[in-house]
Amino acid sequence: MTARGTPSRFLDSVLHNGLGRYVQQLQRLSLRVSRDAPSSRGAREFVEQHAADFARRNSGVVLYVTAKKCHVPQLVAEYRESRVNGSVQEIAIGNKTAEEIATLIQKLADQSGLDVIRIRKPYHTYNPSIQGQWHPFTNRPPQLGKEVTANDSDHKTQ
Amino acid sequence: MVLLTAPLRVRARLTDRYWRVHDLLQYARHFRGRKNRCYRLAVRAVNRAFVKCTNARRLKKKNMRMLWINRITAASQEHGLKYPAFISNLIKCQVELNRKVLADLAIYEPKTFKSLAALAKRRKEEGLAAALGEEKEPPGIFSRVVRHQ
Amino acid sequence: MSSFSRAQQQWATFGRVWYLLDGKMQPPGKLAAVASIRLQGLHKPVYHQLSKCGDHVVIKNTRQIAFSGNKWEQKVYSSHTGYPGGFRQVTAAQLHQRDPVAIVKLAVYGMLPKNLHRRTMMQRLHLFPDDEIPEDILKNIVEELPQPRKIPRRLDEYTQEEIDAFPILWVPPKDFRM
Repeated sequence: MTARGTPSRFLDSVLHNGLGRYVQQLQRLSLRVSRDAPSSRGAREFVEQHAADFARRNSGVVLYVTAKKCHVPQLVAEYRESRVNGSVQEIAIGNKTAEEIATLIQKLADQSGLDVIRIRKPYHTYNPSIQGQWHPFTNRPPQLGKEVTANDSDHKTQ
Repeated sequence: MVLLTAPLRVRARLTDRYWRVHDLLQYARHFRGRKNRCYRLAVRAVNRAFVKCTNARRLKKKNMRMLWINRITAASQEHGLKYPAFISNLIKCQVELNRKVLADLAIYEPKTFKSLAALAKRRKEEGLAAALGEEKEPPGIFSRVVRHQ
Repeated sequence: MSSFSRAQQQWATFGRVWYLLDGKMQPPGKLAAVASIRLQGLHKPVYHQLSKCGDHVVIKNTRQIAFSGNKWEQKVYSSHTGYPGGFRQVTAAQLHQRDPVAIVKLAVYGMLPKNLHRRTMMQRLHLFPDDEIPEDILKNIVEELPQPRKIPRRLDEYTQEEIDAFPILWVPPKDFRM
């Protein structure tokens, strides 16, 4: 578990520290289920019982349900393509009950879609400095530079 | 009778080994040379990397503190104070800012740092005046403090 | 909020400053101590070993540096050419005669950290044996650093008023012989 061997990122917020309005980051949910496979049983139940309710509650999310022959039903979540985001998550939901899938989908709908990896610094700001960042002339008299060169050219002329 | 368990166990061990090798190689993917693909070389390199990583967790604290001290030294020198004088006099003024915050202030809020330096300087002068004791030596004592009239 | 935009702020913070240092009557070690801090960037609160925050230092009048004691004769600079019998030893006076810049250069080189940045930092050190500094370097200079050592004055360089004002510690008796 070395620092270079593991992926990492800097802390970044899609919600601007809660100052902006809430924008749901999940854009698209695609559910691929088999009509007959026993591993898709929970997924089929979810489509029957919860899918319409979920779509009604989250009007900002497009929900696709595809009936296709498969061994493992798939769930693909696509997130907003903003400055920091735009990720796609694929989750296998084989052998899961309808309730488990419902909580999983609710989690996907609520989260920001940013990678869950090591964060290098626990703080972040867009305006690091109020008084103005330090530079070589911050604590120096404002007339600096003119005098030295002037004196030296005087020396040279003499 | 069909022997099912024995071949399965052999196969399970083989696949197990495959995944173990690949798990380890994942930690070596960013290494240089054959270390990032040959298990024999990678396993040693990854072990060494983990050992160094463990030690580095302790070293990082030391190095960061050294960096902060270097930065505070530089910033307080700009205001005509040495680092020990600056830090000790701030503590005497009950300004309980740690070195990390002081270093950050020096870079991002230079005017705050300037006033902190002024505070430390003032405290230092007061401390010196108190130690000299109203500019008079006790009777019968000739100290090395020399004053020019 | 700062008055700079982000890119300008970056340029301002990591801008490189040129310092001038007068080597007249200065011990080379003290000159090197001042110069090495500036060359490494240790005088800036944004210092980091890996960021390039070192400044330029121009030292003039290196011909007129001053050693204390009898270092001019006793201090030995050794080197080896790499060939058999190629061990060279010269005293400070001989080295200074040959190259009036070398002593200060070696002192600074020895005081910089021993890493791959050392040669780069040495390139930001500009040494001049005399008062003459090229115009293109002179126009970069921002600040003249105070000399690390106060230049001692001879008795004939004091004015009569200063000599009179000096407190008399001891009055010699009339029959005192020097």
